Amino acid sequence: MSLAAPTIDSGVLDELRAILGEDGAVLTGRSARLNRARVPAPFPVHRWAEHVPDVVVLPRTAQQVSEIVKLANRQRIPVVPRAGGTGLADGAVPLRGGILLDVKRMDQIKEIDMADRTVTVGPGINMQTLNRRLKRYGVMYPDDPASYACSLVGGRIGTSGFSLLGGRYGHTRDLVISFEIVLPTGEIIEVGDGGARKVRKSSTGYHLKQLFMGHQGTLGVVTEATLELVPRAETEFAAFFLFQDYDTAHRTFGELARSGLATLAGVVIFDPEKVAYLRRDDEAYLSQPEWVHAVTAASLYGTRVEVEAASKVVMALGRSLGGKYIGDEISSGDWAARHDRYANPLHGRASDGQVVPMSWHCEDAALPYSQLPAVQREWHAIAARYVSKYEIFDDWGMFAYTNGAHKPWGDVLVEIDMGLWEERLDEDGWRAFVSLKREIAQAALDHGGSLTACHGSTREGDAELVPIEMGASWEVVKQIKRTLDPLNIMNPGKQMLDEAYADQETTA
Amino acid sequence: MSDDDFRPGRYRRQDESPPPAQRVTDEVIMRFEHVYEVDPALMGRHFAQQDMPAWDTQRIVAARWDHLNDVHSEFADGITLAGEGPDV
Repeated sequence: MSLAAPTIDSGVLDELRAILGEDGAVLTGRSARLNRARVPAPFPVHRWAEHVPDVVVLPRTAQQVSEIVKLANRQRIPVVPRAGGTGLADGAVPLRGGILLDVKRMDQIKEIDMADRTVTVGPGINMQTLNRRLKRYGVMYPDDPASYACSLVGGRIGTSGFSLLGGRYGHTRDLVISFEIVLPTGEIIEVGDGGARKVRKSSTGYHLKQLFMGHQGTLGVVTEATLELVPRAETEFAAFFLFQDYDTAHRTFGELARSGLATLAGVVIFDPEKVAYLRRDDEAYLSQPEWVHAVTAASLYGTRVEVEAASKVVMALGRSLGGKYIGDEISSGDWAARHDRYANPLHGRASDGQVVPMSWHCEDAALPYSQLPAVQREWHAIAARYVSKYEIFDDWGMFAYTNGAHKPWGDVLVEIDMGLWEERLDEDGWRAFVSLKREIAQAALDHGGSLTACHGSTREGDAELVPIEMGASWEVVKQIKRTLDPLNIMNPGKQMLDEAYADQETTA
Repeated sequence: MSDDDFRPGRYRRQDESPPPAQRVTDEVIMRFEHVYEVDPALMGRHFAQQDMPAWDTQRIVAARWDHLNDVHSEFADGITLAGEGPDV
């Protein structure tokens, strides 16, 4: 691949080196730039060079980040923040080159406060690393995405992430108490529920934390976060139930979600296409009877006295409509395998059955619980049209998960997993992928849903629908963006926010 | 020392040949109990294939169990089970 030399002039590179003041903190080499161009989601590999940043910087302090952002404003150079680069919506993918600001060196644990039950960290720390340090104190930070072992706190705030234990402990927005952010013009501010760093509930002023939560790098760079510390659970419990049909599994999902069990971490459902996909080669599902076409599972966390009592309720509800228990061994093993999608090489099937390397496209949405069966049918009908027309796609089935923190009964995170054969990708295939995404996203809106429950809507295909979902409030969103980022420096081109600058000349 | 003398950890090539595959489904075979593999006939066109010594398969399986045990201990100190086998 031919790769253009950095378009940033040497004077700017010298200024960046002066700001950072250490060797290896300003990178212009080919591998440093290419490796920070994409995320795990399907990527237009035939146009890789279009997404390569001009320079990579690795700051250690908020003051350095502030000076970099101020320099970018003076020179009108885009800045794209990047944490783990594990997101599925291209928030960390540069669209117009510029400065890629990688926060991985900001990975310190700054304070563990056992009195007020908080931990303060840099945005570059990983949750698994953090929890292994916290274990000796008998506490944990229970933000548990599928990317648990590789995503970073800064990216979790950037996407307003979803935790697989969210029903019990809350999601990223509930677990981050406050954070420091460098605004697009370089000022350093702290945002929370009010202005205090360690207070969970306040009625002072506007709740700016939630404005910046899920900012996808378009409103600044998070440089520090104060997080919740939760007592480690004494025990966990998981149970998987098998069903002949999706409708019964869906109704059982509802029974479990409405159980009122305070220890309920989440309820999940696999649809028939997901079960068929798992039957291809998954050790837990190869041996299941032919009549199995759907799965519902629930998990619990808490004290032993709570979980043991609640587990009996889960077992009764799981069987109440005819579900069959899968057994202890697969239940506990499958629950522990919940992060696998970020660890295993992914493969799909070509139309002749041959195994082919595929990247993983996971389109998510948030839906009212009642709409799940209808959307399940519509999404697979959309997917089937593309699979039959293009060799590059493979339908890997759908799953849904309880969505509300502490209130798991009303809405669901729903995802359709699809394989995409990137080696065969050309512009025609990429356009098909974008069109597929748009149709899936539109169906979610048509059923009263939201475009995304956890990934964000910064990718081509669903980003165009953000103004439609936001309705009249889209004008307010654009005013906020333009007020905070007058030159459109921060991650330009994302989420249709360029519309905020339609009447002025900007950098991006 | 003859080939029959046992020493822990000693590499003997004849011990490292995986046993013959048993067919599990149209797409899956099994060489070791509960260790499933996609049928190599489906893999060869797009993935380079290699002979896998038995110890390497066993290493991967052991690492998998290590990983699952680690995940269990990330957020909880113990595991509660229903105490039941499968209903079917």
